[in-house]
Amino acid sequence: MSETISPAPSAAPPDAEPSNRVVEALWLLVPYVVSVVLAFVVGGLIILALGQDPVAAFESVLTTSFNTRFGTVETLHKWVPILLCAYAFAIPLATGKFNIGSEGQLLVGATGGVALGILWSDLPMVILLPCVLVAGALAGALWAGIAAFLMVKFNVNEILSTVVLNFISFQVIDYVASQVWPDRGAGHPATTPVGDGALLPGIGDTPPFHSGVLLTLVLVVVIAVFMRRTATGFEMRAVGANLRAAQVHGIKTSRLAGAGLVVGGAVAGLAGSIEVAGVHGKMLEGMQSNFLILGIIVGLMARGSMLALPVVAFGIAVLEVGAGSMQRTAQVPVEMVLIIEALILLFLLLSDIVRTKLRGR
Amino acid sequence: MTTQQPPRLEMRRVVKTFGPVVALDSVDLVVARNEVHGLLGGNGAGKTTLMNVLYGLYRPNSGEVLLDGEPVTVGSPRDAIDAGVGMVHQTFLQVDNYTVTENIVLGTDVSGALRLDLDEARKRIRELSTRFGLSVDPDAVVEDLPVGVRQRVEILKALYRGARLLILDEPTTNLTPQEVDDLFGSMRAMVDDGMSVVLITHKIRETLGVCDRMTVMRDGRSVETIERSDTDADHLADVMVGGTTGPGELIDAAALGAVDAEEVEVTVSSVRDAVGVSVQGLVVNNDQGHELVPGFDLEIREGEIVGIAGVAGNGQVELAEALAGVRAVRAGSVEVGGRSMCGRPASAWLDHGVAYVPEDRHRDGILPTASITENLVLGSQRSPGVRRHGLLDWGAAKQRAVEAIEQFSIRANGPATPAGDLSGGNIQRVILARAFARRPRMLILHNPTRGLDLGSTRFVYDQVRVATDAGCAILLLSEDLDEVIAMSDRVIALFKGSRAGEWQKGTVDAYEVGRSMTGLGEARV
Ligand SMILES: Nc1ncnc2c1ncn2[C@@H]1O[C@H](COP(=O)(O)OP(=O)(O)OP(=O)(O)O)[C@@H](O)[C@H]1O
Ligand SMILES: [Mg+2]
Repeated sequence: MSETISPAPSAAPPDAEPSNRVVEALWLLVPYVVSVVLAFVVGGLIILALGQDPVAAFESVLTTSFNTRFGTVETLHKWVPILLCAYAFAIPLATGKFNIGSEGQLLVGATGGVALGILWSDLPMVILLPCVLVAGALAGALWAGIAAFLMVKFNVNEILSTVVLNFISFQVIDYVASQVWPDRGAGHPATTPVGDGALLPGIGDTPPFHSGVLLTLVLVVVIAVFMRRTATGFEMRAVGANLRAAQVHGIKTSRLAGAGLVVGGAVAGLAGSIEVAGVHGKMLEGMQSNFLILGIIVGLMARGSMLALPVVAFGIAVLEVGAGSMQRTAQVPVEMVLIIEALILLFLLLSDIVRTKLRGR
Repeated sequence: MTTQQPPRLEMRRVVKTFGPVVALDSVDLVVARNEVHGLLGGNGAGKTTLMNVLYGLYRPNSGEVLLDGEPVTVGSPRDAIDAGVGMVHQTFLQVDNYTVTENIVLGTDVSGALRLDLDEARKRIRELSTRFGLSVDPDAVVEDLPVGVRQRVEILKALYRGARLLILDEPTTNLTPQEVDDLFGSMRAMVDDGMSVVLITHKIRETLGVCDRMTVMRDGRSVETIERSDTDADHLADVMVGGTTGPGELIDAAALGAVDAEEVEVTVSSVRDAVGVSVQGLVVNNDQGHELVPGFDLEIREGEIVGIAGVAGNGQVELAEALAGVRAVRAGSVEVGGRSMCGRPASAWLDHGVAYVPEDRHRDGILPTASITENLVLGSQRSPGVRRHGLLDWGAAKQRAVEAIEQFSIRANGPATPAGDLSGGNIQRVILARAFARRPRMLILHNPTRGLDLGSTRFVYDQVRVATDAGCAILLLSEDLDEVIAMSDRVIALFKGSRAGEWQKGTVDAYEVGRSMTGLGEARV
């Protein structure tokens, strides 16, 4: 029993051997691969049951993004809002809060962007474009800020408030697109186009992709650094990991949780103004597409890793772009892709349980 | 032990790994019938893991388990219960707003599927509780009960399900001395009734008091099994504490309960003249708004250790939190190093050099999913020491974590290990490493050595001495009377949030302190 005299047993070497690292990485990666494969198998069976050819369907789903330049550009353009909405979900989630309002924040951000783009349409690009983008981010932050304020001050559940704000935002853009700056000729509620100086310059030859893609890449790095290397980012993660312990160690938890929502809203708002400045050149009803749900799916799939988000978002963008051509070539409805995405997420969550069983924890 | 009958439990060559960590490295354990079997060993030795394997919470990589000579495969706690194994964890799984009876019946197959026949159950619970001296009111709502009683509920749950082998993982850490005695009485009654009990503990007194045999584990192996009759306090103290030569070591031995605290002469003191902490008229409420500390005055000089002795629930948590700046005070003032601190946010207290080692380490102390490195940074993420060019310097932080792991002997697979994966004692080491690393001006230690093995307990006492030598004012709140008396320059008995007595080092009478703690002593303020 003399072991207790010497200050306890030796610790393992600080760095696990490389082989262990590889094993750990595999434990992380394998579930993704297995989940994707399984989701496609199940999806294939459903397509078979619908009387269509799954091979043809999947071929067009998976290759459209890479076969034509058009498909590639389309994929990048989808990647941007999906990823930004995923951040809008994942950043507040790091503090344990659920932002279900990225579509509202995106729309209000788009409104902010389009307002400046129309009002100041004569300004040169160097001034107008940054203003439009910043206005979008600020408007989104403000919109999420309402939920954050209610949460911090009055303890109003953020899930409820962000969802309610989505519905209000639909009314807002409806009003703006049909009363303030309506484009009567569009045949669909939409605003008049923004000035040329508000448009994100394209990159490459026809069709070019907009430079918001590069901006997003920069943002990926900034957010990763923010979450990992700044005190605020660390505090946000601490709040998410154990609220009480964070409090005890001097972190102002509710203020941080509110800040997380606001930052998330800013990112979603930026997505809105990038959509205006890069894709549509104006604001139109329905531009939020299904980015809210895709953002949540991506956010959940990445399981809290800010580094995984861009990759997962790209995968989802590929599926989304492929969906349309699948419908054209294989007569399988586009919704099939959403089913597959949901299945991937489902299997991924199941894999946690399987993995626990396998490792016997 | 009878020789013809097979032992109650036999575990053979059990191996369990977590990724690269070998938690159990071919462990053997034999528990006879009718015995209380102690499971001893340092933090991270694998005691909890071994018992979790037995209870079906972890699946072993290899090894055999035999109950009463029959090989069994335990895939889940369900299987374990069916095989007659019961386990009481340190954190209980109870439905707070259910009654004792409902909690105990929950999850058993109650006959008459549609209607719960609770009367029958209540009768059995009454019967079990008298038979084993585990007094509880079957109709009490669990959330109103103190920890000691909730633990009895947990034991009754196991007995109700017909356990023949009961595992208790560090059951005494939250109990008052009286409750510990009661528990040991119940354990005796159980083994006399034909059951076997496995007891995990770090305390010499408890081991000697109740165990018939004990198995010592080290580094995931079982190293030896000792008969109670082959050992005594001196022997155990000797092997556990080592030679008691220096004055510091003697104090340690006293704090560990190996020698009588009062017999140790005062030899080490680093008390200075300057006042480190001054508290006046402190009034503190608990979370429910009840006034638990009705006006507390206290002065701690630099380099002084003031010990607060008391039965849990007499305002210790509220007092500690208020003095750590974590809980708002209703009235009164707190000055640390001459600066008035009340009303300032917790971060200001931290920056001013107030460090706090909370009692509830899982709830207040760690970020379970974050790495050891990150846990060590928690609280100082805004101080210049951990930043470079305005950003957190994780490289340097990792380096310091490696050093802390080395210095505090934290048993972990490197600094990137999530804190939640560590054993109970190792989590506490992380928290202590963080507190001491701040070189605090004031240190609040609440049950700092609870769940620590003897080696690390001594190490903590050494660190405390280093801190007082540097002038740190220390408030030590502990339910372990031996520890308080041996370590403190001044002992204050706390009863209902007020001072019920105060003694200078050397004049402490443990019996008197005990009486004051329970409200029986004459106040000597
Ligand atoms: N779920 C887990 N994941 C990874 N490692 C684990 C896990 N559970 C335990 N370990 C490791 O296994 C070893 C043994 O842990 P265990 O909890 O059994 O120790 P213990 O003897 O109960 O210690 P203590 O006295 O501190 O409670 C430790 O090194 C611990 O870090
Ligand atoms: Mg343990």
